[in-house]
Amino acid sequence: MKSRTSRILAGLTALALAALIWLPCLHFVFTRPASAFRQDQGLSPKARQLAARHLRLWTDPDLRAQELNKMRVSNAEWDFMGRSYLVWSLANMTLRDPASKPLYLQTMDRIIDETLRLEKQEGMYFFLMPYARERHYLVQPPHSLFLDGEIALMLASRRMVEEKPEYKPLLTGRVDAIVERFRKSRRMLLESYPDECWMFDHCVALDAIKLADQLDGSDHSALIRDWLAMAKKKLVDPKSGLLISSFMEDGTPLDGPEGSSLWMVIHSLQLLDPDFARDQYQRARKELGAITLGFGYAHEWPKAWKGTPDIDSGPIIPGFDISAGSSGMALIGASTFNDGQFLAALAATLDFAAFPSRTQGRLKYCASNQVGDAALLYAATLGPLWEKVITGAKP
Amino acid sequence: MSKLSWLRHALFQRAEFLSARDLLQRAVAISGLFLLVQLAGFREFTGILNGTIGSLALGWNLSAFLAVIYILVYLAFVVLVPVLVLAAMILTVWQRCIPKAEYSRVAPDSNSRRSDANG
Repeated sequence: MKSRTSRILAGLTALALAALIWLPCLHFVFTRPASAFRQDQGLSPKARQLAARHLRLWTDPDLRAQELNKMRVSNAEWDFMGRSYLVWSLANMTLRDPASKPLYLQTMDRIIDETLRLEKQEGMYFFLMPYARERHYLVQPPHSLFLDGEIALMLASRRMVEEKPEYKPLLTGRVDAIVERFRKSRRMLLESYPDECWMFDHCVALDAIKLADQLDGSDHSALIRDWLAMAKKKLVDPKSGLLISSFMEDGTPLDGPEGSSLWMVIHSLQLLDPDFARDQYQRARKELGAITLGFGYAHEWPKAWKGTPDIDSGPIIPGFDISAGSSGMALIGASTFNDGQFLAALAATLDFAAFPSRTQGRLKYCASNQVGDAALLYAATLGPLWEKVITGAKP
Repeated sequence: MSKLSWLRHALFQRAEFLSARDLLQRAVAISGLFLLVQLAGFREFTGILNGTIGSLALGWNLSAFLAVIYILVYLAFVVLVPVLVLAAMILTVWQRCIPKAEYSRVAPDSNSRRSDANG
């Protein structure tokens, strides 16, 4: 009996020792230099593999329908956002990899044309969640800034890498309509859903306006400046200093700061107000970002804010409060500010816990979906388009 | 003993609980299970983690069930298997390093069963 107890004790001690050795080493299996995810020049191996999968989706209608249908069961927005992120990624890829420009442009045009066709044919509710129909938009006729902003940025991104005359009136019409609504709104807040406004959608729309200014010689700098001043004053959570994610048309907060949208907001702000963007990134990195045992991840909410998990945050892993949505989007924030340590740690977590699957040089993450992978591709390719706008270069 | 029968002995004969061989057998079992779920394509269902259905044909419940199985087996393979193998190595080295008298008290696999049987 004594010998059995000794053996078990010896076994347990060995297991504890082994765990102490292995757990801190586990991340070495998955950690690669940040450049394996995103490079300053050209395309990283991961970007190429992710892109290959998306390009295949847009040349194989059956495969695309299968992927999009799976997403639309949960959230029609994902179908739309997957298109947006892919077009924005392809714009950056065109600038990074000019040799493949014809293929990238052709794919961008196909996505934009199909999206516009669906919007016209099925109406704006086709890409919105069902609750958009349950109430009336306060401002009539109804418009969703979510759709208008992202479509405008798709059109503008395409034109920034190479002019396409057919898209010029489409972009101008979309931007003029957004600007008109901003001017009519007392608080400069536009609905994405009935009496529901999103920081993400405002920042993306303002990016599109900024690109349109550069492309067509218009000047909306005063509008952008006034909106930013209003946001800094009224849409910041006083405890964390982070921008809140959603609010009513009168500015009443709905959700506090949320990682699943904030990291992209920060990226968008880089084009509008670089100092404010950096300040928000540093706060988000401190409040939301974390690295444990070499693995990077992000929380959905800062410590001072209690939120409820939803379709955006994804499931929250208890104990560490890890949000899948925020962790994935954190790659966009880390890439934007070249935060190599955080980027490499986040990419390690991606390879550890998002279940990569490679087939014939095409990469997808099984724990993700098409929109998630498109956002990852954007994180791996972003940079050149913003740089082109900031330096004032023409297409 | 031929190599094959030694392997069969090492793999399939029940070892003492928490002995080096027991730990290795568990590591092999988990690895085998992981190979099975990997080859069966359960990885595809893990999209449930972000709220996407794994398969429209199989539905939410079955997709979620297969995803949970895959995730548990994967974590066991990536986290537990190396710990079990390392622990087996530590035990083996320990048993070889301590004096013979103590070694028998720590109960090597060959003697411990009789000790247990005698209470």
